[in-house]
Amino acid sequence: MNEQEIIEKIAFNVIQGRVTEEDEGYDEGLEGQPAVAELVQMVIEQRIDAKKVVVNALTGSMETVGDKFDKGEYLIPDMLASAECVGAAMDLLGPHLADAGVQSKGKFVLATVAGDLHDIGKNIVGIMLKGAGFDVLDLGNDVSSERIVAQVKDTGARYLGLSALLTTTMREMGAIIKTLDEEGMRSQVQVLIGGAPTSQSFADEIGADAYCRDAFHAIDILKQMAG
Amino acid sequence: MIVIAEKINATRSAVREIIEQRDEGRLEDLAQRQVAAGAAYIDVNVGTGNGTRQDEIESMQWAVSRLLDATDKPLCIDSADAAVLEAGLAAMGGRPAMINSTKADVKYLSTVMPLAQRYEAPVVALAMDGQGIPGTVEGRLNACRAIAGACRDYQVPLASVFFDPLVLPVATDAGQGKVTLNTLAAIKAEFPEARTVMGLSNISFGLPGRPMLNAAFLQMAIYAGLDAAIMDPLNADMMQAARTGDALMGKDRHFRKYSRALRRQ
Repeated sequence: MNEQEIIEKIAFNVIQGRVTEEDEGYDEGLEGQPAVAELVQMVIEQRIDAKKVVVNALTGSMETVGDKFDKGEYLIPDMLASAECVGAAMDLLGPHLADAGVQSKGKFVLATVAGDLHDIGKNIVGIMLKGAGFDVLDLGNDVSSERIVAQVKDTGARYLGLSALLTTTMREMGAIIKTLDEEGMRSQVQVLIGGAPTSQSFADEIGADAYCRDAFHAIDILKQMAG
Repeated sequence: MIVIAEKINATRSAVREIIEQRDEGRLEDLAQRQVAAGAAYIDVNVGTGNGTRQDEIESMQWAVSRLLDATDKPLCIDSADAAVLEAGLAAMGGRPAMINSTKADVKYLSTVMPLAQRYEAPVVALAMDGQGIPGTVEGRLNACRAIAGACRDYQVPLASVFFDPLVLPVATDAGQGKVTLNTLAAIKAEFPEARTVMGLSNISFGLPGRPMLNAAFLQMAIYAGLDAAIMDPLNADMMQAARTGDALMGKDRHFRKYSRALRRQ
């Protein structure tokens, strides 16, 4: 396989959601064919430019997946499978990205706020951000405001993503923004919020920089922020 | 779920006709429709109840040779007569086949197990003995133990065995559903390398609302450890009941098979 074929096949398999060759895809009968992990291994062995893989195979195909999800053609498990592919590819490519001159788009601290154990959506966002080239520090779920603020401070992160799935825990987000303000860190970091009970008006109310409907929306907003 | 497609069975009058008239067009069509619907194996039972053992042997040879052309799927050679089983296996020409079936009776074990060994064929093993179907879990498990012993004697790996816990109608004994389910679980616990199979529809015999009973029982059986079912793949509701059960048991990663089937509708 030449470079072009490998990159096309990676893109195809991200859309199909196949990490390894035994995986089933969205379509029937793909089992046994090389998938993202095997193809990325070829990229590394053949010293193909890792940047081309990220730009031409990963980012574009996740946009396709996002479109399919928006249209209702793809369901949550399909999107998760594709996101797993991007995560696996980025893990394998990780050490080679710096050599290829791929610069991080910035540090991104991600957390589900205190009292809230929901992390499915937050995890998808994390994988998508990784695929989009951010340096993601996922703090997990039920993370205290103190820890979130301390991590933003220590890492100097430019972005903070907060998730809450309960009307009782979404208020934590406002408290975190207030603390960032009090500590004089508010201008250092863009705060993005998401989760079922949140909304644009809630983001406005608590002074967040953006409300993200879903992972794909988050990527769009970050593009605009980077301007 | 490994689906063993049940429709080519000469106890059904339409199939008896196909066999007696050597109607290869209809035979192949029946096989191909079952494959398209998701069958992993095509069961072939040509016992019409008429004629001699030699007639059944010739019918089996004819059916197998026609089906080898009609599909790439393995066949499940189905007969209570080891001579018919052997004729069917020989007619496979080296292609993989399953044997249906043996039970814990020395007459069956001594004739069927050597075939399983020689043809390296998976074999359906009924949890019953020469006296009939035991009414209790322990009785059926004892039959399985005798079969497992014969596997050692005839050098058939347990991984090739599909134990059938057997299904009796609940209409006559409401406790029988649970006996089958508990037998399944006991087989999985004692012989983890072996697989399990059963024919389902017997459970609802004599009762109204059979489709719902069959689907519910199938899903309970999947929970208890059912790997394969001898069933009608053309019954779309039962097929989706199987996929639903597998998906809920975490056997269908990313709900691929489940979602794909719903997309097709």
